[in-house]
Amino acid sequence: MVAIETDQSTLVSARLPVARGRRRRQLQDRQYALLLMLPAAVVLAVLVGWPLVELVKDSLYSGGLLTGQHFAGLSNYKAALTSGEVQASAGRTGLYALIVLPVELIVGFAMALLFKTLGDRARVLRTVFIYPLLIAPLVAGLLWQYMLAANYGILNQLLASIGILHGDNSILWLGDPTIALLAVAIPDIWLTTSFVTLVLFAGLQALPADVYEAAKIDGAGPWQAFLRITVPLLRPVIAVVLVIRLVDAMSAFAVILIETQGGPQQASTTMGLEIYNTFITYGNTGLAAAISVLFMAAMMIIAFIALKTIWRPGGVTR
Amino acid sequence: MPETTKNNVTETPLSRRRFLQFGAAVGAAAAASTALGSTASAAARRSPFVSSGKSLNVICEAGGSLELTPITALFKKMTGNTVNLIELPYNGLYNRAYSEMSTGSVTFDILAGDAIWIPTFAPGLVPINSFFTPAVKGDYFPATLQEAQYKGNYYGIPQWTNVEILYYRKDLFESTAEQKNFKAKYGYDLAPPVTWQQFTDAAEFFTRGSALYGTDVKADVETEYLATVLQAGSPGVVLADNGSIIIDNAQHLAALEFYSGLNNKLHVAPPGAVEAGWAQAQTLFYDGKTAMTRFWGHLYRQIPSSSKVYGKVGVAPMISGPAGVAGIPGPYYLSIPKASPNASLAMEFLNFCYAHGQLSADTGLGLVSRISQFKAYENKPGFAAYKPMLETLNAPQTKTRPTSPQWQQIVNEVLVPMLQKSIGSNVNYAAVLAGGKANLEKILNQI
Repeated sequence: MVAIETDQSTLVSARLPVARGRRRRQLQDRQYALLLMLPAAVVLAVLVGWPLVELVKDSLYSGGLLTGQHFAGLSNYKAALTSGEVQASAGRTGLYALIVLPVELIVGFAMALLFKTLGDRARVLRTVFIYPLLIAPLVAGLLWQYMLAANYGILNQLLASIGILHGDNSILWLGDPTIALLAVAIPDIWLTTSFVTLVLFAGLQALPADVYEAAKIDGAGPWQAFLRITVPLLRPVIAVVLVIRLVDAMSAFAVILIETQGGPQQASTTMGLEIYNTFITYGNTGLAAAISVLFMAAMMIIAFIALKTIWRPGGVTR
Repeated sequence: MPETTKNNVTETPLSRRRFLQFGAAVGAAAAASTALGSTASAAARRSPFVSSGKSLNVICEAGGSLELTPITALFKKMTGNTVNLIELPYNGLYNRAYSEMSTGSVTFDILAGDAIWIPTFAPGLVPINSFFTPAVKGDYFPATLQEAQYKGNYYGIPQWTNVEILYYRKDLFESTAEQKNFKAKYGYDLAPPVTWQQFTDAAEFFTRGSALYGTDVKADVETEYLATVLQAGSPGVVLADNGSIIIDNAQHLAALEFYSGLNNKLHVAPPGAVEAGWAQAQTLFYDGKTAMTRFWGHLYRQIPSSSKVYGKVGVAPMISGPAGVAGIPGPYYLSIPKASPNASLAMEFLNFCYAHGQLSADTGLGLVSRISQFKAYENKPGFAAYKPMLETLNAPQTKTRPTSPQWQQIVNEVLVPMLQKSIGSNVNYAAVLAGGKANLEKILNQI
């Protein structure tokens, strides 16, 4: 832009054609971007939006799909909220998430820090550590079912051989209702801790080194650097990992279906399995849809709270 | 955007517009290839899954595929029509059949399904009453005819019939030393047990630490317990013919005391009964850990040569309780969905299966459904299980499970949890049955 020594109005009018041109170019880019997003939006609307609408619609009807359905209003929601089985499944789902999330976060974070510290020397270890992520949940469930079986499971035999257990049948991993939920949580932890490690490691890689140098100059020790620099700077990454894993953990299904089928005595039936049984096994489409809608709403609220409290973008810890 | 010069090369960074154009090109290419790929794969998928009028699609389990393969081959040879066998696991088979019939658009023409599914699927199946002439009915077991029906209509033809029988270790039972010791302890000759008492004696006799157990107790599956209920003399299992609840009657209690008592009181079963189902019992027997097992008839032909018990297995009819021998039949039926566009060809195949069902005897599963077919093979080598199966299926106390669309829910939420609760020490069996009754009432009240 050429500086024009004149009065303000002339200067303004001299600037105006250039600004309008830039604004016109910005609008075109924005429109162009929207146009590019349109196919994805259509796909999402068809594959996600429409099934959601159908789900809510189904929740307002009763009767089996084969025998014919009739409008039932909110009675399915009332049945879902007052059902002892649904309430128990919800409680077990929360407990399941409380078991897997802290373990995955602590172990995952520790491994990420180890990889960061070791740098290139950890390349092979990183690759090996990620292998469980490549295994399908169904396969993992089957694998752990055999490992935890009472009579021929390798875990009990290993624990007995090193003297932790007396006799190789001391722990009925899959047969004791008090620990069955833990038994189905183990494969989940084994499968997805590497995902947590991967994401946190990527976050650690992106942290600026000069902040640590400045802290070191100021006399901060490793633990202080971790608490005062690493954790606050990684907060958005931790929030994303937690929300993703929370939703995943609460909708756990495949591993539990294969390992225990929700037993013994429904001790490992979480919401995913409850919805599956209600819809597929018992043919109660309306009730299954109502449970799904309530479950989805609950997860959205929890995810929102988690993001708001953990992420706090722009927040500064003093 | 400013240009930069490095090593005398002027570089122009990618502008936002150029980036968006590049992204659009990549996205369009990806979308096009996905559309082409999905069209191609959809075309590839279409051919075996959509009937062309001269081919049929049958959905079945792996065992069903074994059973039907020789019949489909002969059908093709004799009629020129192809029958495609689509294998699915048990739950997947149920899911697919239920989901597709619910929508009214099916990719299969015949379902080879479990007997307990017929009440649930009946609204979506073609009634085939005309098939069951007096001559046809005369060659089927009464129980299999009963389970083919729902509310007065037949919905499937029994294609293979199964029932639990007794398997025992011939090498142990025929050992001179074992026979001598058994006679000395119990006062009668060691032989494959017939009664509950003889079964208990043999199980106790052969339980030797953790090296060998007399038998297994399966608390993760319900059918064997239900057979025990019938052996105890109950007029039915769980529900009477008129729909009233009988799960807490005296016979159910006696059966539970005997069934779970083998584990709880006599300790003749390996630990882990709570989680023991068919797979675990099979593995234990194959590994030589149990001297006897009550198992489905098809096991006899499936014992692998690598098993510790290969060549050492004898079979006998299901054990007899106070009311005699009893078992729960486990037939599978061939049914035609109403939405199939090939119903007449499907019916032709069903008739063909009825006429040539004996071909299934020589397959890996080795099961047939007609009485005449059982009798034709019972004395042939490799078919020793047929005689005890015939005797068990013909027993007066052998009865079917209740005809109820809620049966699977009753199994999952009442029977199996009840059996699992009955395993342990100091169990109050009456209280366990009372709890089962309460849960059953809740389910039945939902109708």
